Amino acid sequence: MSALLDLDRVSKSFSRGGLFSTRRVAAVKEVSFALEADKPEIFTVIGESGSGKSTLARMILGIHTPSSGQVRLGGRDVTTYDRRAFMAEVQPIFQNPFEAFNPLKQLDRYLFMTAERFGGASGKTAAEEQADVALRQVGLSLAEIRGRFPHELSGGQLQRVAIARALVAKPRLIIADEPVSMVDASLRMSIVNLFGRLRDELGLSIVYITHDLATAYYISDRLIIMQKGVVVEQGPARAVLSAPTHPYSRQLRDAVLTPDSAGAFRAIHSRQAVATPGVSS
Amino acid sequence: MSGAAEQAPVLQVRDLQAHFRTHYFGVNREVRAVDGVSFDVNRNEIYGLAGESSSGKTTLIKTIAGLLKPPLEMVGGSARFSFLPDWDAVGRAPPEVVRAIRWRHLSYIMQGSMNVLNPLRRIKHSFRDFAWRHLGGSKAEFDLRAAAHLERVKLDPSVLAAYPHELSGGMRQRVTIALATICKPEFIIADEPTTALDVVVQKDVLGMIRTIQQEMGSSVLFITHDMGVHAALTDRLGIMYAGRLVEDGETPEIFARPLHPYTRHLIGSLPRIGDTEQREGLEGTPPNLATPPPGCRFHPRCPLAMSVCTTTVPAMIETLSGHRVACHAVNPGMAA
Repeated sequence: MSALLDLDRVSKSFSRGGLFSTRRVAAVKEVSFALEADKPEIFTVIGESGSGKSTLARMILGIHTPSSGQVRLGGRDVTTYDRRAFMAEVQPIFQNPFEAFNPLKQLDRYLFMTAERFGGASGKTAAEEQADVALRQVGLSLAEIRGRFPHELSGGQLQRVAIARALVAKPRLIIADEPVSMVDASLRMSIVNLFGRLRDELGLSIVYITHDLATAYYISDRLIIMQKGVVVEQGPARAVLSAPTHPYSRQLRDAVLTPDSAGAFRAIHSRQAVATPGVSS
Repeated sequence: MSGAAEQAPVLQVRDLQAHFRTHYFGVNREVRAVDGVSFDVNRNEIYGLAGESSSGKTTLIKTIAGLLKPPLEMVGGSARFSFLPDWDAVGRAPPEVVRAIRWRHLSYIMQGSMNVLNPLRRIKHSFRDFAWRHLGGSKAEFDLRAAAHLERVKLDPSVLAAYPHELSGGMRQRVTIALATICKPEFIIADEPTTALDVVVQKDVLGMIRTIQQEMGSSVLFITHDMGVHAALTDRLGIMYAGRLVEDGETPEIFARPLHPYTRHLIGSLPRIGDTEQREGLEGTPPNLATPPPGCRFHPRCPLAMSVCTTTVPAMIETLSGHRVACHAVNPGMAA
């Protein structure tokens, strides 16, 4: 069994403060996990803000160099990769599709550029063809996107274009950092379902970073839960979320508000308070 | 809620219309961000407003609060507060009247706490800026009062001396709640106050909003797109789609018996832990409000759409007791 992605005791610390009072802040501490090459899966990283999940994503993408430990792609340290070869294997999707695209640039140009740089397309026709194939995989087509600017599309459509752009490079791994938190409620599930289809039909592995436990339960195969840079719990997604053992995981699970938690704060509402208005006008 | 029903509502919104009007180079453009919305908010209740981005919920509360700046204009209808009986909308009252009620009777909890608190001023200065005018007293008295009030949201009085960047997101949001409630206002508008917080902190902050609201007996207009938050917190709930209210009623009733197809989708599409059923997103996209679809604005995406939906705006009808819905499939033959 060879590993597609392999994190070996990866840590990252940042220095904070001035010249005389420098402190080291550990953002990620000794995180290890591996994704198998021949078993595509959606691997979820859950954690609150400040838990180090985005730093972890940046290290996998080679944007940050780990302070210690190694991130290996196909057995090779990502810091030793040629960037262009690396980006053909691993592609990112970011949180806010409105910020990810330059508002003054037509969307199809992102697709063509990615096709030529990382997708191995030579010439305009090949790039257009690759862009169209990728857009059809996300339920759009080049005819709809050609010449359009970001403001002409909705958040859900833009996020699909962002996913199509990542697919143009024909990567083996996609790193999605909070991909649905800025997408409209009625469109969110179509993006999440799209990730499931990419895994099942294209055999892509996806590292899905989120703080939304419900979608993690819905779509992911395995997950890790991070708190302050440390992995506190890991395992098969549904097993872990159905019966979390670490106190922090339990706290997270109990804090999720769903339609079933109706009246969590309403129960204390008393009729007596209704009868006496607090302030007289 | 029978006790509340006997009293006049604190806020009565009737057929409110607010449009963005621009005219550049001889081209007039009108975006109907709020188009004929009517609802009541009773005393001592939390009324929730749900809707996705660009459904007009922020424009609606701006209009209700009288924060009208061109190109946003209040075109028609009224939004009458019980503490401002002489004017049919805050935005139509003269500035000195608005200044007197703002923060004393009507306050806000905003979304980005970092944008509300001046980054160059200590928290106590922010408190003085907002509330001293209304509460009066000497500076020392006021600071003591602010410190006492901070304890209600479980913050240490030393927070008063801090700058906003020294506090965590959850603490800052609690400061903005304390700021909004120190004058014991009758009406609080909360615009996505917990969206930027993570789930554990969010639960704390929501519990705090409920506790303070009950202590003071105020009314809260609570806006978020998160249906889980609405289920847990609000007493009554209104669902907005493309600038119009499509359904409203008591929250448990809406979750138990959603009538409008859009509400049904919003509730039905939420994944839950422990439930592995396949859930689908809605086809299509929210409409552009500069050129909204005719008739019912939801019809291009609606699974129940009929020919009447493409031509006639459905009326908001009370179908069940206290539960109103605007849909031709639910109320046949009722045009607005």
